[in-house]
Amino acid sequence: MSLSSASPQPRINAGRSALWLLAGLTMLFLLAPIAVIIVVSFNDTTLFSFPPSRWSLRWYHALWESRAWREAGWFSLWLASLVALASLLIGVPAAYGLAKGRFPGRRLAEALLISPMVVPVIVLALGLYMLFSKLGLIGTPMSLFLAHTLLALPVVIVIVGAAFRRLDGSIELAARSCGASFPRAFWHIVLPAVRPALISAGAFAFLTSFDEVVLTLFLGGPRTTTLPKKIWESVKFELDPSLTAVSTILIIVSIAALLLVEVARRSRIQRQAKEAL
Amino acid sequence: MTLVAASAVPSAKATRAWRARPGLMIAGALAFCAIVYLLPMLSLFGWAFQGPAGTGASLAQLSRLIGDDTYHYAFFTTFKIAAITTLICALIGYPYAYLMATTGPRLAMLLTAAVMIPFWTSVLARSLAWMILLGRKGIVNEWLTGWGLLERPAALLFNSIGVQIGMVHVLLPFMVLPIWSILSRLDPGLPRAARSLGASPAAAFIHVTLPLSLPGLAAGATLVFMFAIGFYITPALLGGPNDLTIASLIEMVVRDLLDWPFGAMLSLALLGLVALVFACGAAFAGAGRIAGMEGR
Repeated sequence: MSLSSASPQPRINAGRSALWLLAGLTMLFLLAPIAVIIVVSFNDTTLFSFPPSRWSLRWYHALWESRAWREAGWFSLWLASLVALASLLIGVPAAYGLAKGRFPGRRLAEALLISPMVVPVIVLALGLYMLFSKLGLIGTPMSLFLAHTLLALPVVIVIVGAAFRRLDGSIELAARSCGASFPRAFWHIVLPAVRPALISAGAFAFLTSFDEVVLTLFLGGPRTTTLPKKIWESVKFELDPSLTAVSTILIIVSIAALLLVEVARRSRIQRQAKEAL
Repeated sequence: MTLVAASAVPSAKATRAWRARPGLMIAGALAFCAIVYLLPMLSLFGWAFQGPAGTGASLAQLSRLIGDDTYHYAFFTTFKIAAITTLICALIGYPYAYLMATTGPRLAMLLTAAVMIPFWTSVLARSLAWMILLGRKGIVNEWLTGWGLLERPAALLFNSIGVQIGMVHVLLPFMVLPIWSILSRLDPGLPRAARSLGASPAAAFIHVTLPLSLPGLAAGATLVFMFAIGFYITPALLGGPNDLTIASLIEMVVRDLLDWPFGAMLSLALLGLVALVFACGAAFAGAGRIAGMEGR
């Protein structure tokens, strides 16, 4: 029995090096496809050579020139923005009710509202297709708006709900006891306190819709072509280099959203540090 | 702030009445889900069990599902893909999550970013990237043959290898995040105590750290398996004709054969399997641990 082995002195450890090697390879596996598709999109040839022998923006130019791609881009952007807005409008109050409310059936309601996340999307797609075809909604923007909001709602409830649970209830009670009405306290005290979570939830709800494929394929029509739908249709036909440019745009939107979330998170940590002083 | 709250604490009764109010705030979301979620799920039941002429009830679709070997094959393929994906994700994901939880903040941040960026990147864009990488004239084959490691290009795409690579890429974060979540909250004093009592690093890990992190591993495995059996995009793009999964079968039955009743029955079977996997996982890891990681 040696006490020295318990000391936390750093030493070169074969096991730990092997672990880092494995982690390095895993990082390569995780990031390489994303890096490769971004690099290849700046290729000047129709071949997917890597690294490109000549660089150019011709595939981005081709996208911009194509009216169909431009329209798909705008439609995706509008749809995802509206879905983010709607899922926040319904999801934030629901998350608050689930986090702070004490009423019978709360756990059941929570399970119901979060469960669309685990139901296979193809199953949701078929169910919605059956319902929407009866209502004459197939192929309309409304059908995609409703379906995407269904997927984005649990994302909002999980993220904002976690923030509400962490929130100290006494600041809200203080506002109420000083005479603020419930809506006033909610708007001026509760919501500002969870702002980073609202930003994360909005960003992730946006991405949920912006990247969605299966529901869009099932429920959409010629009037509802989103970027992912157009990629799907093209890739089934031919692997066209301009697809790498669209994919790069999708990836950049995702990374921008993640950065936004990270900035919001850090601002909260900084504020908390200031308050602690 | 605390002083104000303390001097004017509402009565217990008033607090209770006020606490009941948030219950009403879920009404909007419940109404939305009732129409856009429960109603479609109910129509699946309606279609799957409807009688021959669209009236009455019948078990014809169910007996078709049970009786035909072609459909069993799709279930078998789906389970095989899901099981292999879960196993690979666990083998790669555990050491990765362990490192993420035990290394310094800067490196941990780097490891986290490498998981989060793909996690939130379009599955379609990533599948496309794998198509460019793995094709017969793809980048991987060009490099391997160029370096003389392979004599002729290997078949990596439109077969089960391509599906497995794509699936592990998509689902690995679902394994890493729950394991990391439990390991990062583990008291580092526990393995240290084992070491101070004479255990080797390996013994301390096997007898202390690993058993304590098993619920995280179980939650991760449940999530990966559950998402893997319902996955559509990746097998459809990277797989070949032999990789027909349940999800692809549903799409085929509904869109090509226009057989809605049978598509609905297949969907219910898939839904039942997902529920079963969730129930098994919840029994082992706790439903909350699994649900908490559904942050996607």
